[in-house]
Amino acid sequence: MKFSSVGRHIVIWIAIVVALFPIAWMTSMAFKPPLEWTSAAGTVSWLPKEPTLANFEYIFTGKSSAYPSSTLMERTALWPILSSLLISTVATLIATIVGALAAYGYSRHRFGTNLPFALLQLRLFPPLAVMIPVMIMWAYLDLIDTWWGMALIYGIGTLPFGFWLMLTFLEDVPVELEEAAMIEGADPARIFYRITLPLLKPAIATTALFVFILNWSDYIMALLLTRKAWVTLPVFMNDLNSAQTGQLYGAKAALGLIAIVPPLILGILIQKHLVRGLTFGALKQ
Amino acid sequence: MSAPSSRTASAGKLTEAMGDAQSRRIGRLTTWPAQALLLFIVLFPTIVTVYVSLTAWTPLDGKPWTQAYKTFWWFENYWEILSDRKLFAALGRTLLIVIIAVGFQVLFGLGLALLFVNNFRARPLYYTLILMPMMVVPAVAGYMFLMLFQSTGPINQIISVILGHSFEVVWLANETLAIVAVIVGEVWQWTPMVFLILLAGLMSVPEDQIKAARLLGANWAQIIWRISLPRIKGVLAIAIGIRLIEGLKLFDIMYIMTKGGPGVATETLSLYIYKRTYGDLEWAYVSALGLVIVITMSLLGLALVALMRPSRRVQLVHVAK
Repeated sequence: MKFSSVGRHIVIWIAIVVALFPIAWMTSMAFKPPLEWTSAAGTVSWLPKEPTLANFEYIFTGKSSAYPSSTLMERTALWPILSSLLISTVATLIATIVGALAAYGYSRHRFGTNLPFALLQLRLFPPLAVMIPVMIMWAYLDLIDTWWGMALIYGIGTLPFGFWLMLTFLEDVPVELEEAAMIEGADPARIFYRITLPLLKPAIATTALFVFILNWSDYIMALLLTRKAWVTLPVFMNDLNSAQTGQLYGAKAALGLIAIVPPLILGILIQKHLVRGLTFGALKQ
Repeated sequence: MSAPSSRTASAGKLTEAMGDAQSRRIGRLTTWPAQALLLFIVLFPTIVTVYVSLTAWTPLDGKPWTQAYKTFWWFENYWEILSDRKLFAALGRTLLIVIIAVGFQVLFGLGLALLFVNNFRARPLYYTLILMPMMVVPAVAGYMFLMLFQSTGPINQIISVILGHSFEVVWLANETLAIVAVIVGEVWQWTPMVFLILLAGLMSVPEDQIKAARLLGANWAQIIWRISLPRIKGVLAIAIGIRLIEGLKLFDIMYIMTKGGPGVATETLSLYIYKRTYGDLEWAYVSALGLVIVITMSLLGLALVALMRPSRRVQLVHVAK
């Protein structure tokens, strides 16, 4: 496995350029004025020639003097951003708390059914194949286009990750301390709060961040279960077209940039645990 | 999958210290919210799916789903699945796209992972940078590649520069090139994940074995082929398995880049279902189809688990340590 050091660095740098190029292009696009959104053949402007905040102005105020006068946005991007934040946060709380509790019970106590496998199955099928009854149920329960309805479906959808991640973290925590306390006669609830929970704090934080990224990144469920009031950021972004001018490249790029920043930061924070998360704990790093 | 299920499913780690009855009580108490949510999302939807799939109900009728029995027609929807050419065409396209995409993901992911096995300066930074595509919201990734593949977009420009003459292909309007474009997007986004998993596997190959092989005069190709790859077989299977399952769900990138077009050139299984759900509002048919997909995938999944179990556990012990 001996590559020359220079060769290794060249190959890796090519990979890095490929990995970052689409992100860089969108970032550049987000700061381009409308005239630079598309370029004539043979010319390409990698960086905005006249950098502008017009795109951000447009998505947050609904209009921009740099835009053609006919493009007016009905609703600003502020609402979908708040919607995404609220829904993802509540869903993350549901998946992490319910998942952590169940993982604790499954790991430490007597329990009958095969909960891990049942939960795993929730993630097996293509969402579209199983969404009709969910849509019927959501309509029946008046949950369509509500933040609680979205938080509920996201919370259930990411519960398998919350559970499995916590389960593998729990398996890593030695049980001897808890056992000792139990033999001393301490109350189970006390043992959980004073011994198990403090040991699990980093694990819970990691799980929550991982689950948050998944919720924030969803597109399909929001596409099916929201209409207008609680549309999330990715859905809002892709509906952002103007009847007169077609694709609003710059405005969409600005929105896209806002959408990818939180998961990028959180993902880098927990990169050590990504392997565990993505393989449902089958692999650790 | 690894440690938890190798233990019998019933007794927990504290059961013995605590006593059976109390342990059972706490086990029930802590798992009921998860069980309730699971029941909520499985029980009622299953009943609705089975019921609606036996009718010709559509929301267009204006009647609630409860009155679907008025259009009861037994297994008509299931018969239609068998003769649905568009469905099988979409399935074929999905498999083609997914298999090619996963192939490239494994090729590039493994190649990169091999470069990262040994420590070198700037490794952590390079590692983080390479992971970034994976963390991009898939819908936004779709939009990125929509921009990149415009006829006046940067990809055509780069090709023009390389060729030395003007190159203006309308990627997303050409049946073959649209598939290529979508595969490029999919490979871009998920190669980092395969890289990440395979690197974790490669890092667990004992270094002394590699050193010994090198002392015996093995070259790097032999070391990779004879030592590293056999040791990460299980990890490789996990990476490929996850990517295949996720690939079958392929929707976001496709929906945003091509909406399945031109024509039906990039219409995957998910997009086909989406079109019948929203375009034609044939919810009864889609219910039947969903049920068939769920049952087929469950059976396939069970068969795979049964096939893989013995070899995988051995591998996982090495990785987990």
